[in-house]
Order: sequence, then structure tokens, then C-alpha cells
Amino acid sequence: MSSMFRMVGKQLKTHPSLIPLFIFIGGGATMSMLYLGRLALKNPDVSWDHKNNPEPWNNIEPNQQYKFFTVNTDYSKLKKDRPDF
Amino acid sequence: MAYPLQLGLQDATSPVMQELIHIHDHTLMIALLVSTMVFYTILTTVTTKLTNKNMLDSEGIQTIWTIAPGLILILIAMPSLRVLYMMDEVNNPHLTVKTIGHQWYWSYEYTDYKNLEFDSYMIPTQDLIPGQFRLLETDHRMVVPTDSPVRMLITAHDVIHSWAVPTLGVKMDAIPGRLNQTTFVVSHPAVFYGQCSEICGANHSFMPISVEAIPLIHFEDSSTSMLAKI
Repeated sequence: MSSMFRMVGKQLKTHPSLIPLFIFIGGGATMSMLYLGRLALKNPDVSWDHKNNPEPWNNIEPNQQYKFFTVNTDYSKLKKDRPDF
Repeated sequence: MAYPLQLGLQDATSPVMQELIHIHDHTLMIALLVSTMVFYTILTTVTTKLTNKNMLDSEGIQTIWTIAPGLILILIAMPSLRVLYMMDEVNNPHLTVKTIGHQWYWSYEYTDYKNLEFDSYMIPTQDLIPGQFRLLETDHRMVVPTDSPVRMLITAHDVIHSWAVPTLGVKMDAIPGRLNQTTFVVSHPAVFYGQCSEICGANHSFMPISVEAIPLIHFEDSSTSMLAKI
């Protein structure tokens, strides 16, 4: 595994134009994996822990931001206007 | 509405559609520029008298043609993701309308205050009055107020349909057993047309959607008269 990195490092020294390639591909792959991880762990549509948190979609607060990014909605300002069960 | 020989998107009548048109123009411009450059490159490569039978190498150009496309893609992705998240936001709707797709008509329910429910069948071609649009007019239109966020809850009764109004930038599948939500804001009073956008049987092309937007002050009168009629 480390020999592979050493080989790549040697190739980079002779062909430095490959460095931007690693940056873009590596960055893209990292961002995809991070977002997939966020989806797996924090998405309220999926139930992992059947004992302690069997239905995460029922535990969302009215002002909890469950999406990654908001444009116009400020979730902290939202009011709770539905009944409790 | 659509017109013959139309090439582009319909004019926007909601802020979301305006954003979509803007981002479409941005992305299409980039695509056309890139395609032009590639076409020119191929043309000059194929017609040149300068030929070299040895392997050539160039560090500079390799760096450039890695970084430039990467930057271009980032410039496309950032506005695109922004509009994608913006389309998902539900922004305090003033009104909720439920629409159910059937074979082969739409039914609308306004249950916020009183129970207003009606079906919306296409007007057959032989029954059209001069000036009406073929395959787009319906006997009862869905009426909404302007400048008010409207929440649509969309489902179907039998098979999958899709509720689409291109000028508002709305398309959402109507799936039996599932409730889909979308919102829109109409910028000005007019009548907007759309057609069912998921194959649903023999009369899939003959179950259009027509939305009539009227100023908010007249909306109550319209709903009351509709309630009295139905």
C-alpha cells in the first residue's frame, strides 16, 4: 500500500502537472463520501437503532434544520404550530 | 403556455422558475462555449499541415486542461445546488390545495376553510369555443391567489400521474399511496396550462391542468361562487 504511494509520489515529481488532477479528483471523492456519511448518519428517513431511536422521522423538532443547506429559510426562527401526540 | 416552434423554456411566472431559467441560460452558455472550442480544436487538428510522428508531451497544457474544466464545473455546480435547495423550501403557505390524479382527469380539493372539491376534465376538441386552446382547456380551473405561497399536496387515485405547470416551474409525480408536497408563488394574474407528465394509459395526453391566478382580494369571491356552483 505504501509502495503504491511512493510510486505515485515519484511519478508526481517527474510530472508535476498531475497534481491538479489529484486535487480535483481527491476533493470530489472526499466531498461525496462526506455527504454520503452525513446522509447515512443524520438523515431522519433512515432508522438504524431500532431500540433507542426506532422512528427518527417522528423526532424532528419544528425548528430543526435537517437539510444540508438553506437559502431563504431561517430554521431557528420557525414556530411550532402543530399539536403534540 | 407553449406555442408552435417553441425552442426555449416558457416565460417565468413564479420566482423559482425565474431562477431556473437563469441557471439554464448560465449552464447552456458554458456548454455552447465549450462545444464551440472543442469543435474548433477538432477542425484545426484535422485540417492542419503540421504533422509530427513522434510522441509529444507538454506539462503546461496538461495543467491548464485539468484546472480549467474543474473550475468550470464548480461554477456550474454552485448555483445549481443553491437553486435545488431553494426549490425544496416550504415558506409559510397561505393556502393548501390538494390534487388527485385519476384516469383521466384531475380533481382539486380546497379544504382549508370550507370543503370545496371538484373535478377538472379536458374540454373535448369538438366542444371548444373559438379562442380556446386545444388539449389544454378544462371545464373547471384550479383558482389560486397571486403573490401568495400555495402548497400543493399531490397524489393519485389509480396509477402514477404527474402534475406539471411549466411556467410556474412545478412538476411533481402523483403516486398512489404517497403524498408529495410542492409550493409555488404566482407573480401575476393569468391562466397557466400544463399537461399530465407521466404515462397513465389511453388518455394520458388528454388530462391537462389549468391554473387561474387572480388577485388575492377577488379570491374569496371566486371560491364562494365556486362553492355555490358545486
